[in-house]
Amino acid sequence: MIGQLRSELLKQRSTRTTLLLFLAMFGLVAFAVAMHVLTLGVEDLSTRSRQLEVFQVGSRAGMLFAGLAGAIAITAEVRYGTIRPTFLVSPTRGPVLAAKLVVAGLVGLVFGLLAELLMTGSAVVGFAARGIDNQLTAGDYLQLLAGGAAAAALWAAAGVGIGALVRDQVGAVVGLSAWMFLVESVSDGFVPGFARFLPGGVGNVLAGNSDELSVALAALLLVLYAATAAAAGWRATLRRDVA
Amino acid sequence: MSATEPTAAAGLDGRPRPALEPMPLASEPVVRISSLSKRYGEVVAVDDISFSLEAGTVTGYLGPNGAGKTTTLRLLLGLAEPTAGEALVFGRRYRELEQPFRRVGAVLESNDFHPNRTGRDHLRMLALAAGLTRGRVDEVLELVELRGAGKRHVRGYSLGMRQRLGLAAALLGDPELLILDEPANGLDPAGVRWLRVFLQSFAAQGRTVLVSSHLLAEVAQTVDRVLIIDRGRLLASGDLAELTRNRQSLEDVYLELTGGGSL
Repeated sequence: MIGQLRSELLKQRSTRTTLLLFLAMFGLVAFAVAMHVLTLGVEDLSTRSRQLEVFQVGSRAGMLFAGLAGAIAITAEVRYGTIRPTFLVSPTRGPVLAAKLVVAGLVGLVFGLLAELLMTGSAVVGFAARGIDNQLTAGDYLQLLAGGAAAAALWAAAGVGIGALVRDQVGAVVGLSAWMFLVESVSDGFVPGFARFLPGGVGNVLAGNSDELSVALAALLLVLYAATAAAAGWRATLRRDVA
Repeated sequence: MSATEPTAAAGLDGRPRPALEPMPLASEPVVRISSLSKRYGEVVAVDDISFSLEAGTVTGYLGPNGAGKTTTLRLLLGLAEPTAGEALVFGRRYRELEQPFRRVGAVLESNDFHPNRTGRDHLRMLALAAGLTRGRVDEVLELVELRGAGKRHVRGYSLGMRQRLGLAAALLGDPELLILDEPANGLDPAGVRWLRVFLQSFAAQGRTVLVSSHLLAEVAQTVDRVLIIDRGRLLASGDLAELTRNRQSLEDVYLELTGGGSL
Protein backbone atom coordinates (compact mmCIF):
# COMPACT_ATOMS: atom_id res chain seq x y z
CA MET A 1 0.00 0.00 0.00
CA ILE A 2 2.92 2.37 0.74
CA GLY A 3 4.19 1.72 -2.78
CA GLN A 4 0.75 2.48 -4.22
CA LEU A 5 0.59 5.76 -2.32
CA ARG A 6 4.07 6.78 -3.45
CA SER A 7 3.13 5.86 -7.00
CA GLU A 8 0.02 8.06 -6.86
CA LEU A 9 1.98 10.93 -5.31
CA LEU A 10 4.52 10.67 -8.12
CA LYS A 11 1.71 10.72 -10.69
CA GLN A 12 0.52 13.99 -9.15
CA ARG A 13 3.98 15.51 -9.06
CA SER A 14 5.27 14.37 -12.41
CA THR A 15 2.90 16.33 -14.64
CA ARG A 16 1.95 19.99 -14.47
CA THR A 17 -1.77 19.25 -14.18
CA THR A 18 -2.02 19.92 -10.43
CA LEU A 19 -0.09 23.19 -10.76
CA LEU A 20 -2.30 24.34 -13.65
CA LEU A 21 -5.41 23.50 -11.65
CA PHE A 22 -4.06 25.52 -8.77
CA LEU A 23 -3.34 28.50 -11.01
CA ALA A 24 -6.85 28.32 -12.46
CA MET A 25 -8.28 28.27 -8.94
CA PHE A 26 -6.06 31.20 -8.00
CA GLY A 27 -7.36 33.16 -10.99
CA LEU A 28 -10.98 32.37 -10.22
CA VAL A 29 -10.66 33.34 -6.56
CA ALA A 30 -8.80 36.56 -7.36
CA PHE A 31 -11.45 37.50 -9.92
CA ALA A 32 -14.29 36.71 -7.51
CA VAL A 33 -12.69 38.69 -4.69
CA ALA A 34 -12.25 41.68 -6.93
CA MET A 35 -15.86 41.49 -8.09
CA HIS A 36 -17.32 41.15 -4.62
CA VAL A 37 -15.14 43.29 -2.42
CA LEU A 38 -14.65 46.13 -4.87
CA THR A 39 -18.14 46.39 -6.40
CA LEU A 40 -20.55 45.62 -3.57
CA GLY A 41 -21.83 48.64 -1.66
CA VAL A 42 -20.18 49.41 1.66
CA GLU A 43 -23.51 49.07 3.49
CA ASP A 44 -23.96 45.63 1.88
CA LEU A 45 -20.76 44.42 3.55
CA SER A 46 -21.33 45.87 6.96
CA THR A 47 -22.57 42.79 8.84
CA ARG A 48 -20.59 39.72 9.88
CA SER A 49 -22.94 37.30 8.11
CA ARG A 50 -22.74 39.25 4.83
CA GLN A 51 -18.96 39.30 5.07
CA LEU A 52 -18.89 35.54 5.64
CA GLU A 53 -21.27 35.05 2.74
CA VAL A 54 -18.92 36.91 0.45
CA PHE A 55 -16.29 34.28 1.25
CA GLN A 56 -18.62 31.62 -0.14
CA VAL A 57 -17.04 31.80 -3.53
CA GLY A 58 -13.58 31.06 -2.08
CA SER A 59 -14.86 27.95 -0.36
CA ARG A 60 -16.68 26.89 -3.51
CA ALA A 61 -13.60 27.40 -5.68
CA GLY A 62 -11.56 25.29 -3.24
CA MET A 63 -14.15 22.50 -3.27
CA LEU A 64 -14.59 22.56 -7.05
CA PHE A 65 -10.89 22.46 -7.90
CA ALA A 66 -10.29 19.77 -5.30
CA GLY A 67 -13.08 17.77 -6.95
CA LEU A 68 -11.52 18.37 -10.36
CA ALA A 69 -8.10 17.22 -9.10
CA GLY A 70 -9.74 14.04 -7.79
CA ALA A 71 -11.63 13.39 -11.01
CA ILE A 72 -8.58 14.07 -13.19
CA ALA A 73 -6.49 11.67 -11.06
CA ILE A 74 -8.45 8.86 -12.66
CA THR A 75 -9.82 10.29 -15.92
CA ALA A 76 -6.32 11.33 -17.06
CA GLU A 77 -5.25 7.68 -16.72
CA VAL A 78 -8.20 6.62 -18.85
CA ARG A 79 -7.59 9.40 -21.37
CA TYR A 80 -3.88 8.68 -21.84
CA GLY A 81 -4.14 4.91 -21.40
CA THR A 82 -1.85 4.69 -18.36
CA ILE A 83 -4.78 2.92 -16.69
CA ARG A 84 -3.69 -0.22 -18.57
CA PRO A 85 -0.15 -0.49 -17.13
CA THR A 86 -1.51 0.71 -13.78
CA PHE A 87 -4.01 -2.15 -13.65
CA LEU A 88 -1.43 -4.63 -14.97
CA VAL A 89 0.68 -3.85 -11.90
CA SER A 90 -2.35 -3.94 -9.57
CA PRO A 91 -4.95 -6.13 -11.28
CA THR A 92 -7.26 -6.24 -8.26
CA ARG A 93 -7.70 -2.46 -8.81
CA GLY A 94 -8.91 -1.75 -5.25
CA PRO A 95 -5.49 -0.64 -3.94
CA VAL A 96 -5.16 1.80 -6.85
CA LEU A 97 -8.49 3.43 -5.97
CA ALA A 98 -7.69 3.49 -2.26
CA ALA A 99 -4.38 5.24 -2.95
CA LYS A 100 -6.08 7.69 -5.31
CA LEU A 101 -8.68 8.54 -2.65
CA VAL A 102 -5.99 9.20 -0.02
CA VAL A 103 -3.75 11.25 -2.31
CA ALA A 104 -6.66 13.21 -3.81
CA GLY A 105 -7.90 13.87 -0.27
CA LEU A 106 -4.51 15.36 0.62
CA VAL A 107 -4.38 17.44 -2.55
CA GLY A 108 -7.96 18.58 -1.87
CA LEU A 109 -7.04 19.59 1.67
CA VAL A 110 -4.23 21.78 0.34
CA PHE A 111 -6.45 23.26 -2.38
CA GLY A 112 -9.16 24.11 0.18
CA LEU A 113 -6.66 25.66 2.55
CA LEU A 114 -5.02 27.75 -0.17
CA ALA A 115 -8.36 28.90 -1.59
CA GLU A 116 -9.51 30.11 1.84
CA LEU A 117 -6.19 31.76 2.62
CA LEU A 118 -6.21 33.54 -0.71
CA MET A 119 -9.84 34.59 -0.30
CA THR A 120 -9.63 35.82 3.28
CA GLY A 121 -6.25 37.44 2.72
CA SER A 122 -7.33 39.46 -0.27
CA ALA A 123 -10.74 40.28 1.18
CA VAL A 124 -9.17 41.59 4.35
CA VAL A 125 -6.92 43.84 2.25
CA GLY A 126 -9.95 44.89 0.18
CA PHE A 127 -12.02 45.70 3.29
CA ALA A 128 -9.19 47.79 4.73
CA ALA A 129 -8.68 49.64 1.46
CA ARG A 130 -12.34 50.62 1.32
CA GLY A 131 -12.56 51.43 5.01
CA ILE A 132 -15.02 48.60 5.69
CA ASP A 133 -15.08 47.47 9.30
CA ASN A 134 -13.90 43.83 9.41
CA GLN A 135 -16.41 41.97 11.59
CA LEU A 136 -14.87 38.50 11.40
CA THR A 137 -13.68 36.82 14.58
CA ALA A 138 -10.68 34.54 15.04
CA GLY A 139 -13.18 31.66 15.28
CA ASP A 140 -14.60 32.63 11.88
CA TYR A 141 -11.16 32.49 10.27
CA LEU A 142 -10.43 29.16 11.90
CA GLN A 143 -13.67 27.67 10.60
CA LEU A 144 -13.08 29.04 7.12
CA LEU A 145 -9.65 27.40 6.99
CA ALA A 146 -10.43 24.12 8.75
CA GLY A 147 -13.98 23.69 7.40
CA GLY A 148 -13.01 24.85 3.91
CA ALA A 149 -10.08 22.43 3.81
CA ALA A 150 -12.18 19.53 5.10
CA ALA A 151 -14.97 20.26 2.61
CA ALA A 152 -12.45 20.39 -0.25
CA ALA A 153 -10.86 17.10 0.83
CA LEU A 154 -14.29 15.43 0.76
CA TRP A 155 -15.04 16.95 -2.63
CA ALA A 156 -11.73 15.52 -3.88
CA ALA A 157 -12.76 12.04 -2.72
CA ALA A 158 -16.14 12.51 -4.40
CA GLY A 159 -14.28 13.64 -7.52
CA VAL A 160 -12.31 10.38 -7.64
CA GLY A 161 -15.61 8.49 -7.45
CA ILE A 162 -17.28 10.60 -10.14
CA GLY A 163 -14.21 10.32 -12.36
CA ALA A 164 -14.13 6.53 -11.95
CA LEU A 165 -17.82 6.38 -12.79
CA VAL A 166 -17.80 8.77 -15.76
CA ARG A 167 -14.25 7.97 -17.04
CA ASP A 168 -14.52 10.70 -19.66
CA GLN A 169 -12.34 13.62 -18.58
CA VAL A 170 -14.21 16.43 -20.31
CA GLY A 171 -17.53 15.05 -19.07
CA ALA A 172 -16.34 14.86 -15.48
CA VAL A 173 -14.78 18.34 -15.50
CA VAL A 174 -17.76 20.03 -17.16
CA GLY A 175 -20.20 18.10 -14.96
CA LEU A 176 -18.51 19.03 -11.68
CA SER A 177 -18.06 22.69 -12.66
CA ALA A 178 -21.65 23.04 -13.84
CA TRP A 179 -22.89 21.38 -10.67
CA MET A 180 -20.95 23.72 -8.41
CA PHE A 181 -21.69 27.03 -10.08
CA LEU A 182 -24.92 26.35 -11.96
CA VAL A 183 -27.04 23.41 -10.87
CA GLU A 184 -27.09 24.20 -7.17
CA SER A 185 -28.08 27.85 -7.57
CA VAL A 186 -30.65 27.05 -10.27
CA SER A 187 -32.18 24.36 -8.07
CA ASP A 188 -32.48 26.94 -5.31
CA GLY A 189 -34.58 29.02 -7.66
CA PHE A 190 -37.08 26.19 -8.09
CA VAL A 191 -37.09 24.94 -4.51
CA PRO A 192 -35.92 27.78 -2.25
CA GLY A 193 -33.66 26.60 0.56
CA PHE A 194 -32.94 23.27 -1.10
CA ALA A 195 -29.40 24.12 -2.23
CA ARG A 196 -28.13 24.19 1.34
CA PHE A 197 -28.57 20.40 1.44
CA LEU A 198 -26.54 19.88 -1.75
CA PRO A 199 -22.78 19.08 -1.78
CA GLY A 200 -21.66 22.67 -2.40
CA GLY A 201 -24.18 24.13 0.01
CA VAL A 202 -23.22 21.85 2.89
CA GLY A 203 -19.57 22.64 2.15
CA ASN A 204 -20.35 26.31 2.65
CA VAL A 205 -22.00 25.50 5.98
CA LEU A 206 -18.93 23.50 6.98
CA ALA A 207 -16.66 26.45 6.18
CA GLY A 208 -18.96 28.83 8.08
CA ASN A 209 -20.05 30.87 5.04
CA SER A 210 -23.64 30.06 5.87
CA ASP A 211 -25.46 28.97 8.99
CA GLU A 212 -28.54 27.55 7.29
CA LEU A 213 -27.73 24.10 8.67
CA SER A 214 -25.91 22.86 11.74
CA VAL A 215 -22.23 22.13 11.10
CA ALA A 216 -22.71 18.55 12.32
CA LEU A 217 -25.51 17.86 9.86
CA ALA A 218 -23.54 19.51 7.04
CA ALA A 219 -20.48 17.38 7.83
CA LEU A 220 -22.59 14.23 7.94
CA LEU A 221 -24.23 15.02 4.59
CA LEU A 222 -20.94 15.82 2.87
CA VAL A 223 -19.33 12.62 4.18
CA LEU A 224 -22.35 10.71 2.87
CA TYR A 225 -22.13 12.35 -0.57
CA ALA A 226 -18.39 11.66 -0.83
CA ALA A 227 -18.76 8.07 0.39
CA THR A 228 -21.62 7.40 -2.04
CA ALA A 229 -19.69 8.77 -5.02
CA ALA A 230 -16.52 6.90 -4.01
CA ALA A 231 -18.41 3.63 -3.49
CA ALA A 232 -20.18 3.94 -6.85
CA GLY A 233 -16.88 4.64 -8.63
CA TRP A 234 -15.18 1.80 -6.78
CA ARG A 235 -17.87 -0.69 -7.71
CA ALA A 236 -17.85 0.36 -11.36
CA THR A 237 -14.05 0.18 -11.56
CA LEU A 238 -13.91 -3.34 -10.16
CA ARG A 239 -16.66 -4.60 -12.43
CA ARG A 240 -16.07 -2.94 -15.75
CA ASP A 241 -13.70 -4.01 -18.50
CA VAL A 242 -10.82 -1.71 -19.33
CA ALA A 243 -10.79 -0.78 -23.00
CA MET B 1 3.24 -37.86 -13.42
CA SER B 2 3.70 -38.83 -9.79
CA ALA B 3 6.88 -36.78 -9.56
CA THR B 4 4.95 -33.59 -10.27
CA GLU B 5 2.32 -34.11 -7.61
CA PRO B 6 4.14 -32.92 -4.49
CA THR B 7 5.05 -29.66 -6.23
CA ALA B 8 1.49 -29.10 -7.36
CA ALA B 9 0.25 -29.71 -3.81
CA ALA B 10 2.78 -27.23 -2.43
CA GLY B 11 1.49 -24.67 -4.89
CA LEU B 12 -2.06 -25.18 -3.69
CA ASP B 13 -1.35 -24.44 -0.04
CA GLY B 14 -0.90 -20.86 -1.17
CA ARG B 15 2.27 -20.01 0.75
CA PRO B 16 5.31 -21.04 -1.24
CA ARG B 17 8.54 -19.54 0.06
CA PRO B 18 9.31 -16.35 -1.90
CA ALA B 19 12.70 -17.67 -3.04
CA LEU B 20 10.98 -20.68 -4.52
CA GLU B 21 8.39 -19.11 -6.80
CA PRO B 22 7.37 -22.27 -8.65
CA MET B 23 8.65 -22.46 -12.18
CA PRO B 24 5.98 -23.70 -14.57
CA LEU B 25 5.90 -27.47 -14.56
CA ALA B 26 6.37 -29.35 -17.76
CA SER B 27 2.76 -30.47 -17.40
CA GLU B 28 1.48 -26.96 -16.78
CA PRO B 29 1.73 -24.57 -19.71
CA VAL B 30 2.74 -20.95 -19.17
CA VAL B 31 -0.52 -19.83 -20.73
CA ARG B 32 -3.62 -21.97 -20.95
CA ILE B 33 -6.69 -20.65 -22.70
CA SER B 34 -9.72 -22.93 -22.65
CA SER B 35 -12.95 -22.39 -24.56
CA LEU B 36 -12.53 -18.65 -24.13
CA SER B 37 -15.32 -16.40 -25.43
CA LYS B 38 -16.05 -12.72 -25.18
CA ARG B 39 -19.26 -11.20 -26.42
CA TYR B 40 -20.10 -7.48 -26.62
CA GLY B 41 -23.85 -7.38 -27.17
CA GLU B 42 -24.37 -8.94 -30.60
CA VAL B 43 -20.69 -8.98 -31.48
CA VAL B 44 -18.68 -12.08 -30.62
CA ALA B 45 -15.12 -10.74 -30.35
CA VAL B 46 -13.57 -14.03 -29.20
CA ASP B 47 -15.37 -17.25 -30.04
CA ASP B 48 -14.50 -20.43 -28.15
CA ILE B 49 -10.72 -20.19 -28.44
CA SER B 50 -8.37 -22.72 -26.86
CA PHE B 51 -4.57 -22.83 -26.95
CA SER B 52 -1.61 -23.10 -24.65
CA LEU B 53 1.95 -21.82 -24.65
CA GLU B 54 4.98 -23.77 -23.48
CA ALA B 55 7.95 -22.18 -21.75
CA GLY B 56 10.81 -21.10 -23.96
CA THR B 57 8.74 -20.48 -27.09
CA VAL B 58 8.04 -17.38 -29.16
CA THR B 59 4.49 -17.52 -30.48
CA GLY B 60 3.06 -15.21 -33.12
CA TYR B 61 -0.63 -14.37 -32.75
CA LEU B 62 -1.79 -13.42 -36.21
CA GLY B 63 -5.01 -12.17 -37.70
CA PRO B 64 -6.61 -9.26 -39.56
CA ASN B 65 -7.57 -6.07 -37.72
CA GLY B 66 -10.56 -6.71 -35.49
CA ALA B 67 -10.01 -10.48 -35.49
CA GLY B 68 -10.00 -10.62 -31.68
CA LYS B 69 -6.24 -10.66 -30.97
CA THR B 70 -6.19 -7.72 -28.59
CA THR B 71 -9.40 -8.86 -26.88
CA THR B 72 -7.80 -12.26 -26.19
CA LEU B 73 -4.77 -10.54 -24.63
CA ARG B 74 -6.98 -8.25 -22.50
CA LEU B 75 -8.90 -11.28 -21.23
CA LEU B 76 -5.64 -13.06 -20.43
CA LEU B 77 -4.36 -10.02 -18.49
CA GLY B 78 -7.49 -9.46 -16.40
CA LEU B 79 -8.37 -6.15 -18.05
CA ALA B 80 -11.62 -7.67 -19.30
CA GLU B 81 -13.81 -10.51 -18.03
CA PRO B 82 -14.56 -13.44 -20.33
CA THR B 83 -18.16 -14.24 -21.20
CA ALA B 84 -17.26 -17.94 -21.04
CA GLY B 85 -14.20 -20.12 -20.61
CA GLU B 86 -11.00 -19.20 -18.87
CA ALA B 87 -7.57 -17.77 -19.53
CA LEU B 88 -4.80 -18.78 -17.14
CA VAL B 89 -1.19 -17.68 -16.75
CA PHE B 90 1.05 -19.97 -14.70
CA GLY B 91 -2.05 -21.94 -13.78
CA ARG B 92 -3.98 -19.02 -12.32
CA ARG B 93 -6.06 -16.11 -13.41
CA TYR B 94 -3.79 -13.07 -13.85
CA ARG B 95 -5.64 -11.24 -11.10
CA GLU B 96 -4.86 -14.05 -8.67
CA LEU B 97 -1.10 -14.07 -9.24
CA GLU B 98 0.74 -12.84 -6.19
CA GLN B 99 3.06 -10.42 -7.94
CA PRO B 100 1.78 -10.45 -11.52
CA PHE B 101 4.14 -7.71 -12.66
CA ARG B 102 7.15 -9.86 -11.71
CA ARG B 103 5.91 -12.81 -13.75
CA VAL B 104 4.17 -11.29 -16.75
CA GLY B 105 5.16 -8.19 -18.72
CA ALA B 106 2.76 -6.81 -21.30
CA VAL B 107 2.36 -3.96 -23.75
CA LEU B 108 -1.14 -3.58 -25.19
CA GLU B 109 -1.03 -0.13 -26.78
CA SER B 110 1.97 1.71 -28.10
CA ASN B 111 1.02 5.03 -26.56
CA ASP B 112 -0.13 4.45 -22.99
CA PHE B 113 1.78 7.41 -21.58
CA HIS B 114 0.91 10.83 -20.23
CA PRO B 115 2.46 13.17 -22.82
CA ASN B 116 3.67 15.63 -20.17
CA ARG B 117 5.40 13.04 -17.99
CA THR B 118 9.00 12.01 -18.54
CA GLY B 119 9.74 8.47 -19.69
CA ARG B 120 11.65 7.84 -16.50
CA ASP B 121 8.79 9.05 -14.27
CA HIS B 122 6.42 6.79 -16.18
CA LEU B 123 8.60 3.83 -15.29
CA ARG B 124 9.14 5.04 -11.73
CA MET B 125 5.42 5.32 -10.98
CA LEU B 126 4.95 1.72 -12.11
CA ALA B 127 8.05 0.55 -10.24
CA LEU B 128 6.82 2.16 -7.01
CA ALA B 129 3.42 0.49 -7.27
CA ALA B 130 5.09 -2.86 -8.03
CA GLY B 131 7.62 -2.53 -5.20
CA LEU B 132 10.60 -2.39 -7.58
CA THR B 133 13.72 -0.31 -7.09
CA ARG B 134 14.80 2.87 -8.83
CA GLY B 135 17.90 1.00 -9.96
CA ARG B 136 15.70 -1.34 -11.94
CA VAL B 137 14.18 1.67 -13.74
CA ASP B 138 17.65 2.71 -14.91
CA GLU B 139 18.45 -0.84 -15.94
CA VAL B 140 15.44 -1.19 -18.25
CA LEU B 141 15.99 2.30 -19.69
CA GLU B 142 19.52 1.19 -20.52
CA LEU B 143 18.25 -2.09 -21.93
CA VAL B 144 15.93 -0.42 -24.45
CA GLU B 145 18.52 2.26 -25.20
CA LEU B 146 16.46 5.15 -23.90
CA ARG B 147 18.77 6.23 -21.14
CA GLY B 148 19.49 9.61 -22.69
CA ALA B 149 15.79 10.31 -23.31
CA GLY B 150 14.57 9.29 -19.86
CA LYS B 151 14.36 12.86 -18.60
CA ARG B 152 12.42 14.12 -21.60
CA HIS B 153 8.64 14.32 -21.80
CA VAL B 154 7.06 11.48 -23.75
CA ARG B 155 5.35 14.12 -25.93
CA GLY B 156 8.68 14.50 -27.74
CA TYR B 157 9.23 10.77 -28.33
CA SER B 158 9.00 9.15 -31.76
CA LEU B 159 6.70 6.15 -32.20
CA GLY B 160 9.72 3.85 -32.06
CA MET B 161 10.83 5.42 -28.77
CA ARG B 162 7.33 4.96 -27.36
CA GLN B 163 7.40 1.29 -28.38
CA ARG B 164 10.69 0.87 -26.55
CA LEU B 165 9.43 2.74 -23.46
CA GLY B 166 6.41 0.44 -23.37
CA LEU B 167 8.71 -2.54 -23.62
CA ALA B 168 10.87 -1.13 -20.83
CA ALA B 169 7.76 -0.92 -18.62
CA ALA B 170 6.87 -4.53 -19.42
CA LEU B 171 10.42 -5.63 -18.53
CA LEU B 172 10.54 -3.77 -15.19
CA GLY B 173 9.53 -6.83 -13.19
CA ASP B 174 11.98 -9.12 -15.03
CA PRO B 175 9.05 -11.30 -16.15
CA GLU B 176 9.02 -14.92 -17.34
CA LEU B 177 6.28 -14.22 -19.88
CA LEU B 178 6.19 -11.27 -22.26
CA ILE B 179 2.99 -10.35 -24.10
CA LEU B 180 3.30 -7.74 -26.83
CA ASP B 181 0.57 -6.35 -29.08
CA GLU B 182 1.97 -5.14 -32.41
CA PRO B 183 5.41 -4.27 -30.99
CA ALA B 184 7.10 -3.70 -34.34
CA ASN B 185 4.79 -0.90 -35.55
CA GLY B 186 6.77 2.28 -35.97
CA LEU B 187 10.17 0.67 -35.49
CA ASP B 188 12.82 1.34 -38.12
CA PRO B 189 14.68 -1.62 -39.66
CA ALA B 190 17.38 -1.45 -36.99
CA GLY B 191 14.70 -1.36 -34.32
CA VAL B 192 12.91 -4.35 -35.83
CA ARG B 193 16.12 -6.37 -35.87
CA TRP B 194 16.91 -5.30 -32.30
CA LEU B 195 13.45 -6.46 -31.18
CA ARG B 196 13.83 -9.80 -32.99
CA VAL B 197 17.20 -10.52 -31.41
CA PHE B 198 15.89 -9.44 -28.05
CA LEU B 199 12.80 -11.69 -28.18
CA GLN B 200 14.82 -14.69 -29.35
CA SER B 201 17.38 -14.30 -26.58
CA PHE B 202 14.55 -13.78 -24.09
CA ALA B 203 13.05 -17.13 -25.14
CA ALA B 204 16.48 -18.77 -25.18
CA GLN B 205 16.60 -18.14 -21.41
CA GLY B 206 13.59 -20.42 -21.07
CA ARG B 207 11.14 -17.54 -20.98
CA THR B 208 8.04 -17.24 -23.11
CA VAL B 209 6.83 -14.67 -25.63
CA LEU B 210 3.38 -14.11 -27.13
CA VAL B 211 3.43 -11.45 -29.81
CA SER B 212 0.51 -10.31 -31.93
CA SER B 213 1.29 -8.87 -35.31
CA HIS B 214 0.28 -8.60 -38.91
CA LEU B 215 3.79 -7.99 -40.16
CA LEU B 216 4.00 -11.51 -41.53
CA ALA B 217 7.46 -11.31 -43.04
CA GLU B 218 8.84 -10.12 -39.73
CA VAL B 219 6.89 -12.72 -37.77
CA ALA B 220 8.19 -15.51 -40.00
CA GLN B 221 11.73 -14.58 -38.97
CA THR B 222 11.05 -14.26 -35.26
CA VAL B 223 8.58 -16.84 -34.00
CA ASP B 224 8.66 -20.62 -33.70
CA ARG B 225 4.94 -21.11 -33.22
CA VAL B 226 1.95 -19.50 -34.87
CA LEU B 227 -1.70 -18.94 -33.94
CA ILE B 228 -4.00 -17.60 -36.65
CA ILE B 229 -7.31 -16.03 -35.67
CA ASP B 230 -10.07 -14.48 -37.74
CA ARG B 231 -13.50 -13.20 -36.68
CA GLY B 232 -12.93 -14.44 -33.17
CA ARG B 233 -12.17 -18.04 -34.14
CA LEU B 234 -8.82 -19.77 -34.00
CA LEU B 235 -8.12 -21.12 -37.50
CA ALA B 236 -4.70 -22.66 -37.07
CA SER B 237 -2.08 -23.27 -34.45
CA GLY B 238 1.22 -25.07 -34.59
CA ASP B 239 4.90 -24.90 -35.36
CA LEU B 240 5.80 -22.39 -38.01
CA ALA B 241 7.87 -25.06 -39.77
CA GLU B 242 4.91 -27.43 -39.82
CA LEU B 243 2.42 -24.85 -41.14
CA THR B 244 4.72 -23.85 -43.95
CA ARG B 245 6.09 -27.30 -44.76
CA ASN B 246 4.48 -27.56 -48.22
CA ARG B 247 6.88 -24.83 -49.34
CA GLN B 248 4.11 -22.34 -48.72
CA SER B 249 5.10 -19.00 -47.21
CA LEU B 250 3.49 -17.90 -43.97
CA GLU B 251 1.75 -15.24 -46.03
CA ASP B 252 0.18 -17.88 -48.30
CA VAL B 253 -1.06 -19.89 -45.35
CA TYR B 254 -2.38 -16.80 -43.60
CA LEU B 255 -4.23 -15.41 -46.62
CA GLU B 256 -5.68 -18.78 -47.48
CA LEU B 257 -7.02 -19.25 -43.96
CA THR B 258 -8.33 -15.74 -43.44
CA GLY B 259 -9.87 -15.54 -46.91
CA GLY B 260 -7.74 -12.53 -47.81
CA GLY B 261 -6.26 -14.30 -50.83
CA SER B 262 -9.45 -13.96 -52.84
CA LEU B 263 -9.50 -10.17 -52.56
